[in-house]
Amino acid sequence: MKHTTIKPLLLSALLALTFSACQTNSPTVGGGGNISYGDAKAVETVTTDLGSTDIQMTSEKMTRSLLQHPLVQNIIRKRELLMASPVQNKTSEYFDTSLITDTVLAQLQKNGVRYVIAGANMQNQVDELRRQNQSGLYRSDKTAKIGRMQGAKYRLDGSVSSITKRNSSTKDVYYKINLQLIEIESGIVEWSDEQEIRKTARR
Amino acid sequence: MQKTILTILLGATLMSVPLALPAVEGGSIASKVESLGEMTYLKFTDMRAVRRDGLLRVQVSIFNENSANEQLYYRFRWLDEDGFTVWEEEPWKPEIVYGRQSKVLSVTAPTLKAQDFRIEVQSPNNSTTLVPNPPGSVANQ
Repeated sequence: MKHTTIKPLLLSALLALTFSACQTNSPTVGGGGNISYGDAKAVETVTTDLGSTDIQMTSEKMTRSLLQHPLVQNIIRKRELLMASPVQNKTSEYFDTSLITDTVLAQLQKNGVRYVIAGANMQNQVDELRRQNQSGLYRSDKTAKIGRMQGAKYRLDGSVSSITKRNSSTKDVYYKINLQLIEIESGIVEWSDEQEIRKTARR
Repeated sequence: MQKTILTILLGATLMSVPLALPAVEGGSIASKVESLGEMTYLKFTDMRAVRRDGLLRVQVSIFNENSANEQLYYRFRWLDEDGFTVWEEEPWKPEIVYGRQSKVLSVTAPTLKAQDFRIEVQSPNNSTTLVPNPPGSVANQ
């Protein structure tokens, strides 16, 4: 009887010792590979392609330029609606241009600007409205009604262009990112600003 | 009561008149600057802050005492009247200051809540205290 009680105790003590030997003081898992977390806000200079620093700096500059504009302050006061059209990528590189407009809209929203969904997110919205109204699964008094979405008064649009020059020793890329705020009804460009970036690599 | 009057006066000053900070080491400019290592060649020569349309605007002048170009990394931290941060961490921004050049950095606060600021700076080549991982060290080519 005594022997059978000691055996599980010994086993758990051994297990505890094994696990404690594997433990470190840091709350991490793994650590065998060369993987580490870096600073997302650091200046990234891996290649001359458009990178995180370019996107962050551009979004920041555009948001602050927009915020200073009297029209945007009026939009905040009157609670008018904004939307973002897909920014054109005129460069030869692939990158998701919505990274710029998404950040601009998110930062504007923190200052009281309201915006409506558009583009790729629109399909999800339509699907959900149809599901609630046409599937027959929902109580009619608890469904979001079709035909009550609000249209934006202004839209953000823009483009990213680049000029690349290279010789035997140097590659130079000049980027120009342009954003505009357009009144949808009239088509008038109420605000525009641009960010210029030069990136040079020497071999 | 005295504290309230002082706060109102300071608020009124910020709202209308540009607030120029004296260019002395250990003075008001130094209180706004957080340097990652002491910079040998890049010096702050002027710093002013003004509130326009509710937004805090800051202008900083930096002079490069060296004849060679210097790389500068900087970012701002925006604070409320109690010293709490009111905006997310800004990205570090690279800036080249040519030899003997005076560069002006003009920035606007990202939010109406910002009442005060700090500028974080780092210059990898002219820092007397070496920083092991400068902000621009993401796998340089």
